[in-house]
Amino acid sequence: MGLTVLLVDDSLFMRNMLRGILEEEGYEVIAEAVDGVDAVRKYREFRPTVTTMDIVMPVKNGIEALREIRVLDANACVVMCSAVGQESLVHAAHEAGACDFILKPFNPERVKEVIKRVAGA
Amino acid sequence: MDMSPYRDLFISESREHLRAVSELIVKMEQETGSRADVDALFRAAHSLKGMAASMGYGEIAELSHRIEDIMDRVRKEELVFDGGIADLLLEGADLLEMMITDVANELQSVRDIGDLVQRLATYRPGAEGVAAADGRDNAAVAPTARHGQPSSATPLHGEPDRYGDASTVRVRTEVLDHLINITGELITNKHRLMTVGRELASPLLDEATVELSRLLRDLHTEVLLVRLVPFSTIADRFPRVVRDLAKKIGKEIVFEVDGKGIELDRGILEGLSDPLVHILRNAVDHGLESAGERRACGKPLQGRIRLIARREKDQVVVVVEDDGRGMDPARLVATAIEKRLVSPEAGRLMSAREAFMLTCIPGFSTAREVTDVSGRGVGMDAVRSTVQALGGNLTIESELGKGSSFILRLPLTIAIINVLLVRLARITVAIPVTSVQRTVELRRDLISSRGKQKVFDFDGEPLPLLSLNRVLGLPHSHAGELLSLFVSELKGRRVGLVVDGFIGQQEIFVKPLGRPLASMKGLGGGAVLGNGEVVFILDVANIL
Repeated sequence: MGLTVLLVDDSLFMRNMLRGILEEEGYEVIAEAVDGVDAVRKYREFRPTVTTMDIVMPVKNGIEALREIRVLDANACVVMCSAVGQESLVHAAHEAGACDFILKPFNPERVKEVIKRVAGA
Repeated sequence: MDMSPYRDLFISESREHLRAVSELIVKMEQETGSRADVDALFRAAHSLKGMAASMGYGEIAELSHRIEDIMDRVRKEELVFDGGIADLLLEGADLLEMMITDVANELQSVRDIGDLVQRLATYRPGAEGVAAADGRDNAAVAPTARHGQPSSATPLHGEPDRYGDASTVRVRTEVLDHLINITGELITNKHRLMTVGRELASPLLDEATVELSRLLRDLHTEVLLVRLVPFSTIADRFPRVVRDLAKKIGKEIVFEVDGKGIELDRGILEGLSDPLVHILRNAVDHGLESAGERRACGKPLQGRIRLIARREKDQVVVVVEDDGRGMDPARLVATAIEKRLVSPEAGRLMSAREAFMLTCIPGFSTAREVTDVSGRGVGMDAVRSTVQALGGNLTIESELGKGSSFILRLPLTIAIINVLLVRLARITVAIPVTSVQRTVELRRDLISSRGKQKVFDFDGEPLPLLSLNRVLGLPHSHAGELLSLFVSELKGRRVGLVVDGFIGQQEIFVKPLGRPLASMKGLGGGAVLGNGEVVFILDVANIL
């Protein structure tokens, strides 16, 4: 079975961009979610291999969503996407069980590298 | 990485964020902002920064970053959101809007953000007035006229919480226009088939056309639905318009918008933006009294303007109401007579309703009313023509001392409209049903004379009779026992327009007229009927 990815970001622009990068590498983007609540729901439904999770989102932020997903599935592999200057959030995400980080703006090579690494683990 | 495929999306999504930013700033300045609004503002700036950085637009990212920073400080309660911050952030939003417009126009950005970035970074409460007073901010920021300008990149859904739904797709607006055009042509063709069917008397063909009609109705409905956008698409920028103007002329105003979720055809909505801005500006500038005057009348010092959109059957009604000084019908009539816009005789007969409509006659607006704010060359006459061109109509209600309401009634959709087909001598013309208040078959003995004018009694009001044939330069015998006429509004006055006969009501697909016909007053477009006959659609309010 191929590797599936759930994209979580409130920005359609960001989702499209990530999708472009990942699909070029042959990954299957199985679903997209637009906020933390949506992310948990879609995770439960699709059980993706990897989830990319934006931190700053409406309704429920990425760290809270990460915690809930880890409760659903202790082995969930969630990669957090954060901007420069969010070090304290990165720390909180790490505590909550994030398996890796991608810095925004996305560097396609770095994105591919991280997804490949976490998917292989 | 080639970012060009993401450019359009960047532009439209950024604009949505900026619209939300402006709306939130104004809301917070009026002290109605909540914690959730602070967070939303922060997130909008944050998203903008992330997108701009991804696209490689360093300056947009930098400026967004500064706005995000200041909102982060507000969020952490290190700063109190005050008027100074609101001004700075709005200035920032304007500058960002211009920079994004530059991106959209593929212009190399030459905007200088340095000064504003500096002021954002060093903002301290109470210190901003000094920086703004030396005029530097004017150099950094051009006027805000382009703010929120509709563009082809305007997304289908304007509400920030809807665009993100992964189950929707974005469609270019031209595609939507094309769809409605095709649907219109299909409806014209259906009428052609029905005409042929009647001649052939073929039951099988009739059956097929009936089925076709049903399918077309469904298609028409669906096409209209996808063209609908919420009122908020344009309404979200109005608080800003009102706020800026109120601040400029030193009035305190509470502005409320109701019915943001009401949906209208995007073509109509875009056309409504300028008229509404004009009416709102009028309300702020003329409608509402100064604080001193309000105090003297025992009114609350803060003036109140409400913008309301609501559905009424197959129409959308948009109302701008203020609690200001209202209008005096007698004074309006006196001014119109003085300016020779109406005869003293006609003036005497005018109802209050008609008197208010005098403000929409070209040349009515007096020179002393032309201030820096409202005197922009778009008068109420332009407002009314625009509303009528959109297939709607405008009425005004007012009570002296209590306030005025401007009521715009609009069809849900353009391009396909219901018309009354009438016969004038040997030709057929179409009258939009929105321009027809009632059709009447009038017995000749019910006509009386007032001077040279023939009038008839209409709900207790004597209405003048005019021959539409004569107005259009056609033969006008109007023979027969009964006169066919319809009641409509001309230059603020209700009149009975006499025709040679009614043919019926029909749905038609409006085609714009090319030059030189398009510039003829009184013509609103053309259409092809089922029998192939080409008819003109009259713009009744402007036939004289």
